[in-house]
Amino acid sequence: MTKYLKMNAKSLLANPYILFWSILFIEFWVFMWAYIFGNYIPQVEEAVRIYSATAYGNLLMLSLSGAATTIASSLLYSSKSIRYVTKYTRLSPSRFLLENLSSSLIVLLTISAVMFVSVVGVFFARFGFVILPIDAIGLAFSIFLSTLFMYALSLFLNFLIVILRAPKSASFISFLPLILAFTAYASLWIDIKNAVYFSPFNCIVSICYYYFSGQIPPTGNFLMQGEKTFVDVGLTITSLVAWSALLIILDIILLKKMRGVGVEEIRTA
Amino acid sequence: MIVSRDLYVTYKWRQEPVLKGVNGTLEGKFLILGPNGSGKTTLFRAICALTNITSGEIIIDGKNVSELYATSGILSTNFQEVYTLIGSNVYDLIGLYIDLSNGDSELAFNIIEDLGLSSKFLRQRKLSELSAGQSKIVCTALALAMKAKHVLLDEPFEELDPAKKGKMVKHLNDYTGVILANTHETWLLKNLQDWGVFFMFEGILYGPLSVRDLLKAEISLVEEPNPLLKVKISNKMVNIIRGKGKGTLLTSLENLDRIYELAEETK
Repeated sequence: MTKYLKMNAKSLLANPYILFWSILFIEFWVFMWAYIFGNYIPQVEEAVRIYSATAYGNLLMLSLSGAATTIASSLLYSSKSIRYVTKYTRLSPSRFLLENLSSSLIVLLTISAVMFVSVVGVFFARFGFVILPIDAIGLAFSIFLSTLFMYALSLFLNFLIVILRAPKSASFISFLPLILAFTAYASLWIDIKNAVYFSPFNCIVSICYYYFSGQIPPTGNFLMQGEKTFVDVGLTITSLVAWSALLIILDIILLKKMRGVGVEEIRTA
Repeated sequence: MIVSRDLYVTYKWRQEPVLKGVNGTLEGKFLILGPNGSGKTTLFRAICALTNITSGEIIIDGKNVSELYATSGILSTNFQEVYTLIGSNVYDLIGLYIDLSNGDSELAFNIIEDLGLSSKFLRQRKLSELSAGQSKIVCTALALAMKAKHVLLDEPFEELDPAKKGKMVKHLNDYTGVILANTHETWLLKNLQDWGVFFMFEGILYGPLSVRDLLKAEISLVEEPNPLLKVKISNKMVNIIRGKGKGTLLTSLENLDRIYELAEETK
Protein backbone atom coordinates (compact mmCIF):
# COMPACT_ATOMS: atom_id res chain seq x y z
CA MET A 1 0.00 0.00 0.00
CA THR A 2 1.10 3.58 -0.68
CA LYS A 3 0.60 6.75 1.35
CA TYR A 4 -2.42 7.47 -0.84
CA LEU A 5 -4.82 5.20 1.08
CA LYS A 6 -4.18 6.84 4.45
CA MET A 7 -4.01 10.39 3.11
CA ASN A 8 -7.17 10.05 1.03
CA ALA A 9 -9.12 8.62 3.99
CA LYS A 10 -7.85 11.46 6.19
CA SER A 11 -8.70 14.05 3.56
CA LEU A 12 -12.25 12.70 3.05
CA LEU A 13 -12.92 12.40 6.79
CA ALA A 14 -12.00 16.06 7.19
CA ASN A 15 -14.02 17.12 4.14
CA PRO A 16 -16.52 19.77 5.31
CA TYR A 17 -19.14 18.69 2.74
CA ILE A 18 -19.10 15.10 4.03
CA LEU A 19 -19.21 16.29 7.64
CA PHE A 20 -22.19 18.51 6.90
CA TRP A 21 -24.31 16.55 4.38
CA SER A 22 -23.62 13.03 5.63
CA ILE A 23 -23.47 13.60 9.36
CA LEU A 24 -24.78 16.96 10.64
CA PHE A 25 -27.68 17.23 8.18
CA ILE A 26 -28.73 13.60 8.70
CA GLU A 27 -28.40 13.99 12.49
CA PHE A 28 -31.16 16.58 12.22
CA TRP A 29 -33.36 13.94 10.56
CA VAL A 30 -32.48 11.40 13.27
CA PHE A 31 -34.03 13.80 15.78
CA MET A 32 -37.00 14.40 13.47
CA TRP A 33 -37.60 10.64 13.21
CA ALA A 34 -37.33 10.25 16.97
CA TYR A 35 -39.23 13.26 18.25
CA ILE A 36 -41.63 14.31 15.46
CA PHE A 37 -42.38 11.38 13.13
CA GLY A 38 -42.18 8.92 16.05
CA ASN A 39 -44.98 10.49 18.09
CA TYR A 40 -47.51 7.87 17.00
CA ILE A 41 -45.20 4.88 17.73
CA PRO A 42 -46.39 2.92 20.79
CA GLN A 43 -43.87 2.50 23.63
CA VAL A 44 -43.54 -1.20 22.87
CA GLU A 45 -40.10 -2.66 22.21
CA GLU A 46 -41.09 -4.57 19.05
CA ALA A 47 -42.81 -1.53 17.54
CA VAL A 48 -39.80 0.67 18.33
CA ARG A 49 -37.47 -1.96 16.86
CA ILE A 50 -39.32 -1.99 13.52
CA TYR A 51 -39.50 1.80 13.55
CA SER A 52 -35.74 2.03 14.34
CA ALA A 53 -34.96 -0.39 11.50
CA THR A 54 -37.00 1.74 9.05
CA ALA A 55 -35.29 4.91 10.27
CA TYR A 56 -31.79 3.45 10.15
CA GLY A 57 -32.22 1.96 6.66
CA ASN A 58 -33.55 5.20 5.19
CA LEU A 59 -31.21 7.57 6.99
CA LEU A 60 -28.20 5.41 6.16
CA MET A 61 -29.19 5.47 2.50
CA LEU A 62 -29.45 9.28 2.53
CA SER A 63 -26.25 9.71 4.51
CA LEU A 64 -24.21 7.43 2.26
CA SER A 65 -25.59 9.01 -0.88
CA GLY A 66 -24.57 12.44 0.45
CA ALA A 67 -21.05 11.10 0.95
CA ALA A 68 -21.11 9.49 -2.51
CA THR A 69 -21.95 12.89 -3.98
CA THR A 70 -18.91 14.44 -2.31
CA ILE A 71 -16.64 11.55 -3.30
CA ALA A 72 -17.81 11.82 -6.94
CA SER A 73 -17.14 15.54 -6.90
CA SER A 74 -13.66 15.19 -5.37
CA LEU A 75 -12.77 12.50 -7.92
CA LEU A 76 -13.85 14.80 -10.73
CA TYR A 77 -11.56 17.59 -9.52
CA SER A 78 -8.66 15.12 -9.36
CA SER A 79 -9.39 13.32 -12.65
CA LYS A 80 -6.27 14.65 -14.41
CA SER A 81 -4.18 13.61 -11.41
CA ILE A 82 -5.73 10.14 -11.46
CA ARG A 83 -4.79 9.79 -15.12
CA TYR A 84 -1.25 10.99 -14.40
CA VAL A 85 -0.50 8.89 -11.30
CA THR A 86 -1.91 5.71 -12.83
CA LYS A 87 0.40 6.13 -15.83
CA TYR A 88 3.61 7.58 -14.40
CA THR A 89 3.84 6.44 -10.77
CA ARG A 90 3.74 3.01 -9.13
CA LEU A 91 0.01 3.44 -8.50
CA SER A 92 -1.38 1.28 -11.32
CA PRO A 93 -5.08 1.65 -12.29
CA SER A 94 -6.04 -1.49 -10.33
CA ARG A 95 -3.96 -0.43 -7.33
CA PHE A 96 -5.48 3.05 -7.46
CA LEU A 97 -8.97 1.54 -7.50
CA LEU A 98 -8.12 -0.73 -4.59
CA GLU A 99 -6.63 2.07 -2.48
CA ASN A 100 -9.33 4.56 -3.42
CA LEU A 101 -12.00 1.96 -2.67
CA SER A 102 -10.39 1.08 0.68
CA SER A 103 -10.04 4.71 1.78
CA SER A 104 -13.59 5.53 0.66
CA LEU A 105 -14.95 2.46 2.46
CA ILE A 106 -13.19 3.57 5.65
CA VAL A 107 -15.03 6.88 5.37
CA LEU A 108 -18.40 5.37 4.42
CA LEU A 109 -18.19 2.74 7.16
CA THR A 110 -17.29 5.45 9.69
CA ILE A 111 -20.38 7.40 8.62
CA SER A 112 -22.50 4.22 8.93
CA ALA A 113 -21.15 3.66 12.44
CA VAL A 114 -21.91 7.25 13.44
CA MET A 115 -25.46 6.88 12.08
CA PHE A 116 -25.92 3.62 13.95
CA VAL A 117 -24.73 5.04 17.27
CA SER A 118 -26.86 8.16 16.89
CA VAL A 119 -30.04 6.26 15.91
CA VAL A 120 -29.61 3.86 18.84
CA GLY A 121 -28.70 6.70 21.23
CA VAL A 122 -31.37 9.21 20.22
CA PHE A 123 -34.08 6.53 20.03
CA PHE A 124 -33.08 5.34 23.51
CA ALA A 125 -33.45 8.91 24.77
CA ARG A 126 -36.86 9.18 23.09
CA PHE A 127 -38.39 5.74 23.72
CA GLY A 128 -36.42 4.39 26.69
CA PHE A 129 -35.26 1.18 24.95
CA VAL A 130 -31.79 0.32 23.74
CA ILE A 131 -32.64 -1.18 20.37
CA LEU A 132 -29.79 -3.27 18.99
CA PRO A 133 -29.98 -5.13 15.68
CA ILE A 134 -31.29 -8.67 15.74
CA ASP A 135 -28.49 -9.81 13.43
CA ALA A 136 -25.42 -7.60 13.94
CA ILE A 137 -23.25 -9.56 11.49
CA GLY A 138 -25.99 -9.44 8.86
CA LEU A 139 -26.35 -5.68 9.40
CA ALA A 140 -22.57 -5.22 9.09
CA PHE A 141 -22.74 -7.19 5.83
CA SER A 142 -25.58 -5.04 4.51
CA ILE A 143 -23.73 -1.84 5.47
CA PHE A 144 -20.64 -3.11 3.67
CA LEU A 145 -22.70 -3.89 0.55
CA SER A 146 -24.34 -0.47 0.71
CA THR A 147 -21.02 1.37 1.00
CA LEU A 148 -19.56 -0.69 -1.83
CA PHE A 149 -22.46 0.20 -4.10
CA MET A 150 -22.29 3.91 -3.21
CA TYR A 151 -18.57 3.99 -3.87
CA ALA A 152 -18.90 2.23 -7.23
CA LEU A 153 -21.73 4.59 -8.20
CA SER A 154 -19.80 7.74 -7.28
CA LEU A 155 -16.75 6.58 -9.24
CA PHE A 156 -18.92 5.69 -12.24
CA LEU A 157 -20.62 9.10 -12.26
CA ASN A 158 -17.28 10.85 -12.07
CA PHE A 159 -15.89 8.87 -15.00
CA LEU A 160 -19.07 9.48 -16.94
CA ILE A 161 -18.62 13.26 -16.67
CA VAL A 162 -14.99 12.96 -17.75
CA ILE A 163 -15.55 10.58 -20.66
CA LEU A 164 -18.54 12.54 -21.96
CA ARG A 165 -16.54 15.74 -21.41
CA ALA A 166 -19.56 17.22 -19.70
CA PRO A 167 -18.18 19.46 -16.94
CA LYS A 168 -21.26 21.68 -17.43
CA SER A 169 -23.38 18.84 -16.07
CA ALA A 170 -20.93 18.06 -13.26
CA SER A 171 -23.08 19.51 -10.46
CA PHE A 172 -26.20 17.70 -11.59
CA ILE A 173 -24.48 14.36 -12.23
CA SER A 174 -22.55 14.52 -8.94
CA PHE A 175 -25.80 15.09 -7.09
CA LEU A 176 -27.52 12.11 -8.75
CA PRO A 177 -26.90 9.74 -5.79
CA LEU A 178 -28.64 12.18 -3.46
CA ILE A 179 -31.48 12.83 -5.92
CA LEU A 180 -32.06 9.11 -6.44
CA ALA A 181 -31.85 8.48 -2.70
CA PHE A 182 -34.60 11.01 -2.04
CA THR A 183 -36.68 9.38 -4.79
CA ALA A 184 -36.25 6.04 -3.03
CA TYR A 185 -37.17 7.73 0.25
CA ALA A 186 -40.68 8.11 -1.22
CA SER A 187 -41.22 4.39 -0.64
CA LEU A 188 -41.96 5.27 2.98
CA TRP A 189 -45.36 6.38 1.73
CA ILE A 190 -45.68 4.61 -1.65
CA ASP A 191 -45.63 0.89 -2.41
CA ILE A 192 -43.23 0.47 -5.32
CA LYS A 193 -43.87 -3.30 -5.51
CA ASN A 194 -41.41 -5.21 -7.73
CA ALA A 195 -39.56 -2.02 -8.70
CA VAL A 196 -37.77 -2.43 -5.37
CA TYR A 197 -35.53 -5.10 -6.96
CA PHE A 198 -34.35 -2.69 -9.66
CA SER A 199 -33.64 0.20 -7.31
CA PRO A 200 -30.36 -0.34 -5.43
CA PHE A 201 -31.34 2.46 -3.05
CA ASN A 202 -34.51 0.64 -2.01
CA CYS A 203 -32.51 -2.59 -1.74
CA ILE A 204 -30.23 -0.87 0.80
CA VAL A 205 -33.25 0.12 2.89
CA SER A 206 -34.78 -3.37 2.67
CA ILE A 207 -31.61 -5.23 3.61
CA CYS A 208 -30.79 -2.94 6.54
CA TYR A 209 -34.41 -3.18 7.73
CA TYR A 210 -34.28 -6.98 7.55
CA TYR A 211 -31.06 -7.47 9.52
CA PHE A 212 -31.85 -4.70 12.02
CA SER A 213 -35.40 -5.82 12.88
CA GLY A 214 -35.40 -9.51 11.93
CA GLN A 215 -38.64 -8.85 9.99
CA ILE A 216 -39.23 -9.19 6.25
CA PRO A 217 -39.53 -5.62 4.91
CA PRO A 218 -42.48 -4.47 2.81
CA THR A 219 -41.98 -3.31 -0.80
CA GLY A 220 -42.98 0.19 0.29
CA ASN A 221 -45.65 1.98 2.30
CA PHE A 222 -43.50 1.66 5.44
CA LEU A 223 -45.29 4.46 7.27
CA MET A 224 -48.81 3.86 5.94
CA GLN A 225 -51.52 1.55 7.19
CA GLY A 226 -53.14 -1.08 5.00
CA GLU A 227 -52.22 -4.26 3.20
CA LYS A 228 -48.55 -4.67 2.33
CA THR A 229 -46.55 -6.90 0.03
CA PHE A 230 -43.17 -8.13 1.23
CA VAL A 231 -39.80 -8.35 -0.50
CA ASP A 232 -37.69 -11.37 -1.20
CA VAL A 233 -34.57 -10.42 0.82
CA GLY A 234 -32.37 -12.81 -1.17
CA LEU A 235 -33.37 -11.05 -4.38
CA THR A 236 -32.62 -7.58 -2.96
CA ILE A 237 -29.16 -8.77 -1.89
CA THR A 238 -28.58 -10.29 -5.32
CA SER A 239 -29.72 -7.06 -6.96
CA LEU A 240 -27.40 -4.89 -4.85
CA VAL A 241 -24.44 -7.22 -5.49
CA ALA A 242 -25.20 -7.23 -9.22
CA TRP A 243 -25.42 -3.42 -9.34
CA SER A 244 -22.13 -3.07 -7.47
CA ALA A 245 -20.36 -5.65 -9.65
CA LEU A 246 -21.64 -4.03 -12.86
CA LEU A 247 -20.55 -0.57 -11.77
CA ILE A 248 -17.11 -1.78 -10.64
CA ILE A 249 -16.53 -3.47 -14.01
CA LEU A 250 -17.56 -0.26 -15.79
CA ASP A 251 -15.31 1.75 -13.45
CA ILE A 252 -12.28 -0.38 -14.35
CA ILE A 253 -12.97 0.02 -18.09
CA LEU A 254 -13.59 3.77 -17.86
CA LEU A 255 -10.56 4.41 -15.63
CA LYS A 256 -8.25 3.30 -18.44
CA LYS A 257 -10.17 5.30 -21.04
CA MET A 258 -10.56 8.65 -19.31
CA ARG A 259 -8.01 11.43 -19.76
CA GLY A 260 -9.29 13.78 -17.10
CA VAL A 261 -10.94 17.17 -17.03
CA GLY A 262 -8.96 20.21 -15.94
CA VAL A 263 -10.03 22.04 -12.79
CA GLU A 264 -10.32 25.29 -14.75
CA GLU A 265 -12.58 23.56 -17.28
CA ILE A 266 -14.94 22.54 -14.44
CA ARG A 267 -14.85 25.98 -12.83
CA THR A 268 -15.56 27.85 -16.05
CA ALA A 269 -18.21 25.40 -17.34
CA MET B 1 13.75 9.42 -25.97
CA ILE B 2 10.39 10.89 -26.91
CA VAL B 3 9.29 10.56 -30.52
CA SER B 4 6.29 12.35 -31.97
CA ARG B 5 5.01 11.00 -35.28
CA ASP B 6 2.60 13.00 -37.42
CA LEU B 7 0.71 14.16 -34.36
CA TYR B 8 -2.64 15.88 -34.75
CA VAL B 9 -4.75 17.15 -31.85
CA THR B 10 -8.15 18.74 -32.30
CA TYR B 11 -10.11 19.86 -29.26
CA LYS B 12 -13.50 20.17 -30.88
CA TRP B 13 -14.93 18.28 -33.81
CA ARG B 14 -14.60 20.10 -37.15
CA GLN B 15 -12.44 22.81 -35.64
CA GLU B 16 -8.94 23.56 -36.89
CA PRO B 17 -6.39 21.26 -35.24
CA VAL B 18 -4.20 22.74 -32.51
CA LEU B 19 -1.33 20.45 -33.50
CA LYS B 20 -0.92 19.91 -37.23
CA GLY B 21 1.31 16.94 -37.89
CA VAL B 22 4.03 17.37 -35.27
CA ASN B 23 7.14 15.30 -35.97
CA GLY B 24 10.22 15.31 -33.78
CA THR B 25 12.65 13.30 -31.68
CA LEU B 26 13.25 14.78 -28.26
CA GLU B 27 16.27 13.66 -26.29
CA GLY B 28 18.60 15.67 -24.08
CA LYS B 29 17.67 19.16 -22.94
CA PHE B 30 15.42 21.10 -25.26
CA LEU B 31 13.50 24.31 -25.15
CA ILE B 32 10.36 24.58 -27.20
CA LEU B 33 10.01 28.22 -28.09
CA GLY B 34 6.82 29.61 -29.46
CA PRO B 35 4.35 32.43 -28.95
CA ASN B 36 1.28 32.03 -26.73
CA GLY B 37 -1.34 29.82 -28.38
CA SER B 38 1.10 28.08 -30.71
CA GLY B 39 0.37 24.60 -29.32
CA LYS B 40 3.34 24.09 -26.95
CA THR B 41 1.22 23.18 -23.94
CA THR B 42 -1.06 20.98 -26.04
CA LEU B 43 2.00 19.09 -27.28
CA PHE B 44 3.08 18.50 -23.67
CA ARG B 45 -0.42 17.37 -22.70
CA ALA B 46 -0.41 14.94 -25.62
CA ILE B 47 2.99 13.57 -24.58
CA CYS B 48 1.65 13.07 -21.04
CA ALA B 49 -1.52 11.42 -22.48
CA LEU B 50 -3.65 14.07 -20.79
CA THR B 51 -5.48 14.95 -23.98
CA ASN B 52 -6.98 12.97 -26.82
CA ILE B 53 -4.77 12.50 -29.84
CA THR B 54 -6.71 12.86 -33.09
CA SER B 55 -4.10 10.98 -35.14
CA GLY B 56 -0.42 10.12 -35.00
CA GLU B 57 1.45 8.73 -32.03
CA ILE B 58 3.81 9.50 -29.18
CA ILE B 59 6.51 6.95 -28.41
CA ILE B 60 8.46 7.14 -25.15
CA ASP B 61 11.49 4.84 -24.98
CA GLY B 62 9.98 2.59 -27.64
CA LYS B 63 6.52 2.33 -26.10
CA ASN B 64 3.35 4.02 -27.26
CA VAL B 65 2.28 6.46 -24.55
CA SER B 66 -1.30 5.20 -24.64
CA GLU B 67 -0.08 1.79 -23.46
CA LEU B 68 2.01 3.03 -20.54
CA TYR B 69 0.63 2.35 -17.05
CA ALA B 70 2.35 2.40 -13.65
CA THR B 71 5.68 3.24 -15.26
CA SER B 72 7.28 5.13 -12.40
CA GLY B 73 10.44 7.01 -13.36
CA ILE B 74 9.73 7.45 -17.06
CA LEU B 75 8.00 10.84 -17.17
CA SER B 76 7.05 13.73 -14.93
CA THR B 77 5.58 17.15 -15.55
CA ASN B 78 4.86 20.42 -13.75
CA PHE B 79 1.20 20.82 -14.81
CA GLN B 80 -0.58 21.91 -11.63
CA GLU B 81 -3.67 19.88 -12.54
CA VAL B 82 -1.80 16.59 -12.06
CA TYR B 83 -0.99 17.45 -8.44
CA THR B 84 -4.57 17.57 -7.18
CA LEU B 85 -4.96 13.93 -6.19
CA ILE B 86 -5.99 14.85 -2.64
CA GLY B 87 -6.91 18.11 -0.98
CA SER B 88 -4.17 18.12 1.66
CA ASN B 89 -1.60 20.80 2.47
CA VAL B 90 1.29 21.23 0.03
CA TYR B 91 3.87 19.67 2.37
CA ASP B 92 1.90 16.41 2.63
CA LEU B 93 1.08 16.52 -1.09
CA ILE B 94 4.79 16.59 -1.93
CA GLY B 95 5.33 13.63 0.42
CA LEU B 96 2.57 11.71 -1.36
CA TYR B 97 3.91 12.24 -4.89
CA ILE B 98 7.48 11.51 -3.79
CA ASP B 99 6.22 8.27 -2.23
CA LEU B 100 4.28 7.29 -5.36
CA SER B 101 7.26 7.93 -7.64
CA ASN B 102 10.10 6.79 -5.35
CA GLY B 103 11.40 10.32 -5.79
CA ASP B 104 13.81 12.49 -3.81
CA SER B 105 12.03 14.62 -1.23
CA GLU B 106 15.30 16.30 -0.20
CA LEU B 107 15.75 17.60 -3.76
CA ALA B 108 12.14 18.84 -3.85
CA PHE B 109 12.45 20.79 -0.61
CA ASN B 110 15.94 22.09 -1.51
CA ILE B 111 14.60 23.61 -4.74
CA ILE B 112 11.48 24.96 -3.07
CA GLU B 113 13.40 26.53 -0.18
CA ASP B 114 16.02 27.93 -2.56
CA LEU B 115 13.16 29.67 -4.37
CA GLY B 116 11.85 31.18 -1.16
CA LEU B 117 9.12 28.91 0.20
CA SER B 118 9.53 27.41 3.68
CA SER B 119 8.28 24.01 4.84
CA LYS B 120 6.29 25.78 7.56
CA PHE B 121 4.50 27.84 4.91
CA LEU B 122 3.78 24.73 2.82
CA ARG B 123 2.21 22.98 5.82
CA GLN B 124 -0.30 25.83 6.12
CA ARG B 125 -1.46 26.02 2.51
CA LYS B 126 -3.19 23.90 -0.08
CA LEU B 127 -1.86 24.00 -3.64
CA SER B 128 -4.91 25.94 -4.79
CA GLU B 129 -4.18 28.59 -2.13
CA LEU B 130 -0.73 29.42 -3.49
CA SER B 131 -0.04 32.29 -5.90
CA ALA B 132 0.61 31.35 -9.54
CA GLY B 133 4.37 31.80 -9.05
CA GLN B 134 4.47 29.77 -5.82
CA SER B 135 2.44 27.02 -7.43
CA LYS B 136 4.81 26.98 -10.42
CA ILE B 137 7.81 26.60 -8.06
CA VAL B 138 6.21 23.69 -6.17
CA CYS B 139 5.07 21.84 -9.30
CA THR B 140 8.38 22.30 -11.11
CA ALA B 141 10.33 21.16 -8.03
CA LEU B 142 8.06 18.12 -7.76
CA ALA B 143 8.53 17.28 -11.43
CA LEU B 144 12.32 17.39 -11.01
CA ALA B 145 12.29 15.52 -7.68
CA MET B 146 10.24 12.63 -9.06
CA LYS B 147 13.51 11.52 -10.68
CA ALA B 148 11.89 10.70 -14.00
CA LYS B 149 13.97 10.11 -17.10
CA HIS B 150 11.92 12.65 -19.05
CA VAL B 151 10.74 15.89 -17.42
CA LEU B 152 8.25 18.11 -19.24
CA LEU B 153 8.14 21.66 -17.90
CA ASP B 154 5.36 23.90 -19.09
CA GLU B 155 6.44 27.56 -18.84
CA PRO B 156 8.71 26.96 -15.81
CA PHE B 157 9.74 30.63 -15.65
CA GLU B 158 6.29 32.14 -15.91
CA GLU B 159 5.16 34.25 -12.92
CA LEU B 160 8.64 34.16 -11.35
CA ASP B 161 10.58 37.31 -10.54
CA PRO B 162 13.97 37.73 -12.30
CA ALA B 163 16.01 36.48 -9.30
CA LYS B 164 13.91 33.34 -9.04
CA LYS B 165 14.06 32.79 -12.80
CA GLY B 166 17.86 32.75 -12.49
CA LYS B 167 17.74 30.20 -9.69
CA MET B 168 15.28 28.05 -11.63
CA VAL B 169 17.62 28.07 -14.66
CA LYS B 170 20.42 26.80 -12.41
CA HIS B 171 18.27 23.90 -11.12
CA LEU B 172 17.34 22.94 -14.68
CA ASN B 173 20.98 23.00 -15.77
CA ASP B 174 21.95 20.84 -12.75
CA TYR B 175 19.37 18.17 -13.63
CA THR B 176 20.91 15.15 -15.35
CA GLY B 177 17.88 13.69 -17.19
CA VAL B 178 15.99 14.70 -20.31
CA ILE B 179 14.20 18.04 -19.92
CA LEU B 180 11.77 19.58 -22.35
CA ALA B 181 10.76 23.06 -21.31
CA ASN B 182 8.40 25.22 -23.27
CA THR B 183 8.45 28.96 -23.06
CA HIS B 184 7.72 32.08 -25.08
CA GLU B 185 10.59 33.99 -23.45
CA THR B 186 13.81 34.31 -25.45
CA TRP B 187 15.83 36.33 -22.92
CA LEU B 188 16.86 33.14 -21.11
CA LEU B 189 18.64 31.58 -24.09
CA LYS B 190 22.01 32.93 -22.98
CA ASN B 191 21.69 30.98 -19.72
CA LEU B 192 20.94 27.67 -21.44
CA GLN B 193 23.71 27.51 -24.01
CA ASP B 194 24.09 23.71 -23.99
CA TRP B 195 20.43 23.14 -24.78
CA GLY B 196 18.73 22.50 -28.08
CA VAL B 197 15.74 24.44 -29.35
CA PHE B 198 12.61 23.62 -31.27
CA PHE B 199 10.26 26.33 -32.45
CA MET B 200 6.54 25.95 -32.49
CA PHE B 201 4.32 28.18 -34.59
CA GLU B 202 0.65 27.60 -35.34
CA GLY B 203 0.71 23.94 -34.36
CA ILE B 204 3.84 22.95 -36.30
CA LEU B 205 7.19 22.03 -34.75
CA TYR B 206 10.36 23.34 -36.41
CA GLY B 207 13.97 22.42 -35.65
CA PRO B 208 16.05 21.44 -33.87
CA LEU B 209 18.71 24.11 -33.60
CA SER B 210 21.29 24.73 -30.91
CA VAL B 211 20.95 27.62 -28.47
CA ARG B 212 24.47 28.73 -29.40
CA ASP B 213 23.35 29.23 -33.02
CA LEU B 214 20.27 31.08 -31.93
CA LEU B 215 22.04 33.55 -29.68
CA LYS B 216 23.30 35.40 -32.73
CA ALA B 217 20.40 34.51 -34.99
CA GLU B 218 18.20 37.09 -36.61
CA ILE B 219 14.69 37.11 -37.93
CA SER B 220 14.31 38.16 -41.49
CA LEU B 221 11.11 38.54 -43.46
CA VAL B 222 12.81 38.61 -46.82
CA GLU B 223 14.04 35.55 -48.71
CA GLU B 224 17.54 34.59 -47.56
CA PRO B 225 19.90 31.92 -48.89
CA ASN B 226 20.72 29.07 -46.47
CA PRO B 227 18.59 30.14 -43.49
CA LEU B 228 18.93 28.23 -40.23
CA LEU B 229 15.20 27.65 -40.33
CA LYS B 230 12.18 28.69 -42.36
CA VAL B 231 8.89 28.99 -40.50
CA LYS B 232 5.42 29.95 -41.61
CA ILE B 233 3.68 32.62 -39.55
CA SER B 234 0.32 34.13 -40.54
CA ASN B 235 0.78 32.73 -44.08
CA LYS B 236 4.12 34.51 -44.32
CA MET B 237 7.52 32.79 -44.55
CA VAL B 238 9.87 33.97 -41.82
CA ASN B 239 13.57 33.13 -42.00
CA ILE B 240 15.76 32.57 -38.97
CA ILE B 241 19.23 33.35 -40.24
CA ARG B 242 22.78 33.57 -38.92
CA GLY B 243 23.49 37.08 -37.61
CA LYS B 244 24.52 39.43 -40.42
CA GLY B 245 22.96 42.63 -39.18
CA LYS B 246 20.17 42.30 -41.77
CA GLY B 247 17.27 41.33 -39.54
CA THR B 248 16.01 41.64 -35.99
CA LEU B 249 18.11 39.88 -33.35
CA LEU B 250 16.00 37.02 -31.98
CA THR B 251 17.06 37.58 -28.35
CA SER B 252 16.09 41.24 -28.63
CA LEU B 253 12.42 40.22 -28.92
CA GLU B 254 12.28 39.29 -25.19
CA ASN B 255 9.39 37.01 -26.03
CA LEU B 256 8.17 35.39 -29.21
CA ASP B 257 4.70 36.93 -29.13
CA ARG B 258 6.39 39.94 -30.75
CA ILE B 259 7.17 37.98 -33.89
CA TYR B 260 3.58 38.55 -35.04
CA GLU B 261 4.07 42.30 -34.69
CA LEU B 262 7.14 42.03 -36.90
CA ALA B 263 5.19 40.06 -39.48
CA GLU B 264 2.41 42.69 -39.41
CA GLU B 265 4.86 45.57 -39.81
CA THR B 266 6.15 44.18 -43.07
CA LYS B 267 2.76 43.66 -44.71
